[in-house]
Amino acid sequence: MKIIVTATHKGGEGKTTNCIILAEYFAMVMKKKVLAIDLDPQANFSGRYLSMSYDPTYQGGKFPPLHPDYDAATDLDWDGRSTIADIFYGVPLIPYPTLIPELDLLPAYSSKLQDAEAVTKSEVTEKVHVQLKKFFDFPEVRQEYDIIIIDTPPSKGPLTISAVKAATHMVIPSQMEQFSIEGIYGMLQLWKQEAYSRGATNSLELIGILPNQVRDINLHKSFLESLKNMKGVSDYVMPFVIKKRAVYAELLVEGANPKMLFELPANNIARQEYEIVCKHIAERVYG
Amino acid sequence: MAKRKIFRISQALTQGLEETVNAAHNYSGSLRVEVIPLTKIELDPENPRSLTLTLTDLINGYHQQGSLDHKRKQELESLKSLAESIKNEGILNPIIVYRYGDNYRLVAGERRTLASFLAGKTDVQAKILDSKPSEYKLALLQWIENIEREDLTLWEKICNLDKLAQGYISGSNLSEDAFTPTLLSSLIGCSLPHAMNYHAVLLADEEIKNLIKENKIKNLEKAALIAKIDATKLRKKAINACIQGAPLKELKAICNQKKTNASASITTTPHINKETRGRAATRINLGATKNTAAIKFIFNTVFDSEKYSKLKDNFQGVNWDDYKSVSGAFKELVKILEKNEE
Repeated sequence: MKIIVTATHKGGEGKTTNCIILAEYFAMVMKKKVLAIDLDPQANFSGRYLSMSYDPTYQGGKFPPLHPDYDAATDLDWDGRSTIADIFYGVPLIPYPTLIPELDLLPAYSSKLQDAEAVTKSEVTEKVHVQLKKFFDFPEVRQEYDIIIIDTPPSKGPLTISAVKAATHMVIPSQMEQFSIEGIYGMLQLWKQEAYSRGATNSLELIGILPNQVRDINLHKSFLESLKNMKGVSDYVMPFVIKKRAVYAELLVEGANPKMLFELPANNIARQEYEIVCKHIAERVYG
Repeated sequence: MAKRKIFRISQALTQGLEETVNAAHNYSGSLRVEVIPLTKIELDPENPRSLTLTLTDLINGYHQQGSLDHKRKQELESLKSLAESIKNEGILNPIIVYRYGDNYRLVAGERRTLASFLAGKTDVQAKILDSKPSEYKLALLQWIENIEREDLTLWEKICNLDKLAQGYISGSNLSEDAFTPTLLSSLIGCSLPHAMNYHAVLLADEEIKNLIKENKIKNLEKAALIAKIDATKLRKKAINACIQGAPLKELKAICNQKKTNASASITTTPHINKETRGRAATRINLGATKNTAAIKFIFNTVFDSEKYSKLKDNFQGVNWDDYKSVSGAFKELVKILEKNEE
């Protein structure tokens, strides 16, 4: 079972967009059984596939709708909602189906995720860190899904760390600008620390840095060039870039039609561009 | 025209990124320490044991039944103080194992494993290697593990180093000669003089090695000194003195005797001689003497040889009472020999 985490500390780099397109690629194009996991309290990944409700008790926070399999009459000890955050509470998880048959989702629950993120005492962080990995070790999960796509919050906290600890592969999307490159540095530290604890048989493979939202300006060209000239780092810069295109943002709009990148014609320039990246990632993951 | 803007990722950030990737590559797996059950640990049959006492002995309770022989009893006693400290502090250095089927095979930490059992532990912290290390790596790890222990005999150390050397040579396709003291000192992190001593002993012949094995020669410096003596008579003298407990100084004095002994051959192994001072000699200094008879003897010996018998006539005119005359004649002789001998 492959577990791909998309992570970077910096916000706005394209983590969620990357997760959405990757999840849809593996499900729709490669016909793999995919489980999408939203660890971001912002719940954007979840909102694409589920009608998330606003949480009256937690300003701006969201929680998932009632599960389609919930029967109020018989499920007496279940409130009808499930979230990935439940792994921190020892409660069973029930993935939601989505409009894509091969794609299931374990949505975010903002307040619960935020609580996990706020955990600072060392013994407790340990408990948070290993929970996601434990979940993926369950035989039921491994039998059910071929590939897991994890979206993370823009932070260095326990949520991102638990995703990194559980993952087999990692993608770091990054704009070719100052603060973004600094964000890469932080992310590489996490990867390095994790590499120290892994053996050869269960390594965390860094698929690479995905140069994202690239425009045809000197700054972006120079920074990309600089990255490609760095010792060691250059091996981890993906050979394909994603340009800044309106269509990527348009697809994310609520009620958009078409909704999925892979509903666009095969010769659409944006679809081609990102499909090459997805193929590259798939090759790295599946060998 | 507007000035073209130049954008570069800063030196510091570039360095930080490069170093992080480098560290991730070099230290991958280095912090993998887990806690494993003592019952799953077994010895690697290809590695020499350092203890006669086994984990099985302890698990079966032989130590409590009093059915241990003298050697094992001794080992048990020495493990007890280690067990005490493990009870109080835990083990400070994880043992090193590699996975072997369902179990783990020991690379280093036999004593810690047994002592943990004596301390009442059921599991132990272990650094788990992905696979069995190369022969060289194995010997190096064991060397590092043992370096703190004073009770290791010279023989045990030599055996360890021999394995290390053989492993390194076969692993890197070097010739035996390429394994120099300099290389050894960098591999095990000791001083060059120390490495030279080990090197000399590693190259010593069977006789010396057997004596070390039998614990008759226990000191490294003494062993190295003796190993370098080629002359059999002198060496026997040195060995006997050493076995009798002669101090290093005395052995060195015996070694220096070879310089005045005409039948002793000069050792070809270079070693740091504290008596050597001044500039290296670039030619042979023939010295000076007041003993005319000695020089006359040299002349006669040369004339006695078939090759130079005809020379006798050339030196008829030498005045043997005059130092100047003899000096001149001697210089002549040397010149002739220089021309004719290569």
